[in-house]
Amino acid sequence: MQSLPDWPEFIRTLFSPQGTFVVSLVVLGIGLLVGFLVWRAARQFMQEMGVPEAVEGTPFERTARSLGTSTVGIVSNLAALFVYIIAITVALNIAQLVQPEAYWTRFTAFLPNLFIAVFAIIIGLIAGDKAKLVVSERLRSVKLPEATVIPELVKYSIFSLAVLIALGQLGVATMALLILLAAYAFGLVFITGLALKDLLAASAAGIYLLLTEPYSIGDEVVIGDQRGIVQEVDMFVTRVENDGQEYIIPNQQVMQDGIVRVRD
Amino acid sequence: MNELRDLFDGLVADIDAVFLFSPSMSNFEALTEGDSTVVVVGPENTVDADHFVELPIDFTDLEGRVRFGIEGALNQELVEQGDEVVCVSGFMDGAANAIARIQTNDFSPSGVYDLFVNSRAEPGVVRDVFEVAVELGKKGQKGKPVGALFVVGDAGKVMNKSRPLSYNPFEKSHVHVGDPIVNVMLKEFSRLDGAFVISDAGKIVSAYRYLEPSAEGVDIPKGLGARHMAGGAITRDTNATAIVLSESDGLVRAFKGGELVLEIDPEEY
Repeated sequence: MQSLPDWPEFIRTLFSPQGTFVVSLVVLGIGLLVGFLVWRAARQFMQEMGVPEAVEGTPFERTARSLGTSTVGIVSNLAALFVYIIAITVALNIAQLVQPEAYWTRFTAFLPNLFIAVFAIIIGLIAGDKAKLVVSERLRSVKLPEATVIPELVKYSIFSLAVLIALGQLGVATMALLILLAAYAFGLVFITGLALKDLLAASAAGIYLLLTEPYSIGDEVVIGDQRGIVQEVDMFVTRVENDGQEYIIPNQQVMQDGIVRVRD
Repeated sequence: MNELRDLFDGLVADIDAVFLFSPSMSNFEALTEGDSTVVVVGPENTVDADHFVELPIDFTDLEGRVRFGIEGALNQELVEQGDEVVCVSGFMDGAANAIARIQTNDFSPSGVYDLFVNSRAEPGVVRDVFEVAVELGKKGQKGKPVGALFVVGDAGKVMNKSRPLSYNPFEKSHVHVGDPIVNVMLKEFSRLDGAFVISDAGKIVSAYRYLEPSAEGVDIPKGLGARHMAGGAITRDTNATAIVLSESDGLVRAFKGGELVLEIDPEEY
């Protein structure tokens, strides 16, 4: 892109003023053709990658539909538009219809970044909505009002990431935002880790107990102070019953205390 | 027609509650505007009723359905003993075409509601085992009728009151009754002798179990064989529920607390 300003100069030295004008028209024509080809190729490529199915049902796609287009249409049109703008600016530069120095050349160099930024925003919007759908689908069996917060959290995490990438592309100083995001991600990991500590330990022990079955349902066991007949072993707890009292023992405690199997 | 209308008015006069069996939304809304209690009975609460009794299995005969609905409502204290209720239900594949007036203490409770809801095992597990037994009763093993005995819930105690007849095919396996492959698997294993033991959460603990409860004071109808006697007796000694498929008459029976609580014909499902 840095060599772009030199090319018009070079062409102008080669051709007469009329010739330069013709060349600029040719460049414009080629640009339009390439734009159309890019539009068609992008469309075909995305269709073959199964993009329309993947974005089905996300709010972004629905908004696009209500505007009479689709995600695939928007992205391919954007790519074509990008090529058209480059072609037009190059042609204008060659023909020297506008002052070449100040504004237009820098605009051409800036264009790819702008394109990537818009693209990042679109992908971020779709990925965020999609992730929200997937997560809420998974959590459907959990009928807690608090559980609906998690999909939203996932959605906005991805949105903020997309915005950060876009701003970075446009050259905005994102250091402060990046630090904020890092703190947020760290907090999220740390807090969930802390919250799930016991469950993780129990399930790790539970997997061992389920796979090797050192004791099974019907065995009489002593675990810590509790003695009784094993009624149920699952991923997180072991249920031991004795005289109408059912002890529900976390599996990590089973591993810590050890198991005494009573045989008589 | 006036006489008929009088008869009908007499039927619905002074009632305490209306039981709707799988009603449509419009029927339900029209009736809730009246001042008597409306209880909805069905496999799912499709109309968002306040008073709802869930039907775990699809009773084909009207009496079974009504009995289950009323016992469920009594259990949830939606109606009281001695209340007069009117049941609106579908009869012979129709929708809401039969009306019956019943006093809630007209019949002695059979415990069929109790069987599904207040068993030690989870309600879904009891229902799954029931469905497996019905399926087995319908198709049999290679066209021949089979018998089977499932003991559900309180598995630890049941295991201690029984002994293995042979190696347990379910040892160190994690098969649950709701799993899709289970129907086929249990059908194959049903030619083995002995009982299946299933835990509260639905894990199949063992097959090939010989139950050794004391059969003292077990009162089951005469004419049923050793399988039913064993099933009935184990439920008296433990908090388990026994679901028995009879080889001779093909009926599925459920026992709880040493008593027969439910008897259905698989062919009607």
